[in-house]
Amino acid sequence: MQKSFSRSLASLSSVYEFTEAALTAGRFAEAAKFPVHLATEELFVNMVEYNPETSTDIDMQIDVVDAVATITMSEYGVPEFDVTKPRDVNIDAPLDERSPGGLGLHLIQKMVDNLTYEYCDGRSTISFSKQSGHPNV
Amino acid sequence: MFDIGYGSDGEIVYSGRLDASQCEKAQSFMDAVAEPGVLDFDKLEYISSAGLGILLKTQKRLAESGGGLKIINVNNHIHDVFHYSGFNAIFDIEAK
Repeated sequence: MQKSFSRSLASLSSVYEFTEAALTAGRFAEAAKFPVHLATEELFVNMVEYNPETSTDIDMQIDVVDAVATITMSEYGVPEFDVTKPRDVNIDAPLDERSPGGLGLHLIQKMVDNLTYEYCDGRSTISFSKQSGHPNV
Repeated sequence: MFDIGYGSDGEIVYSGRLDASQCEKAQSFMDAVAEPGVLDFDKLEYISSAGLGILLKTQKRLAESGGGLKIINVNNHIHDVFHYSGFNAIFDIEAK
């Protein structure tokens, strides 16, 4: 399934509905949907907030094959930013040394599989997968 | 759909999905919380890093006066998010 979304946080509900519909259509296990929704939101929000200079849509594609969901998100007219690089996050820091922000990409790297990034001619393409752990009947 | 309000025992009840588009509503409510208290996540299905930021900001503010937040009825998925964020060490958390 493919769909394009306006570059706005107001699109998040539509992104969720599209993702949920694609996973349900692919009979993806309910228990494994959470990290897919989380990663999708974090990536979408990053694209919206860190690329305000462009107004192009954000494209999504979701495929579910053999109990594995593969999500691809791409955008055009943006600078290169490799989301697969390790994030400088200290989750053991005490409360007084912590500040809000910076956890999104860290969470994605912990909770999904096969996170990849490609950049070519101004187009960023991010892909990740998640196995549901149940047969895809 | 996300909602936030006070429960019958004075606890703060979160429900629905707390994504980045709902953070203004959550932040506005939490900014008015002046005392340490309990957050009931029994009906909260989902939280992303944007919601974590609100919790952290509130916890830091309350800690300045020696208090903090206790989060109860946390589902397994949100518990995983807390675990990977290191929130288990800076919040008092009870799973469902």
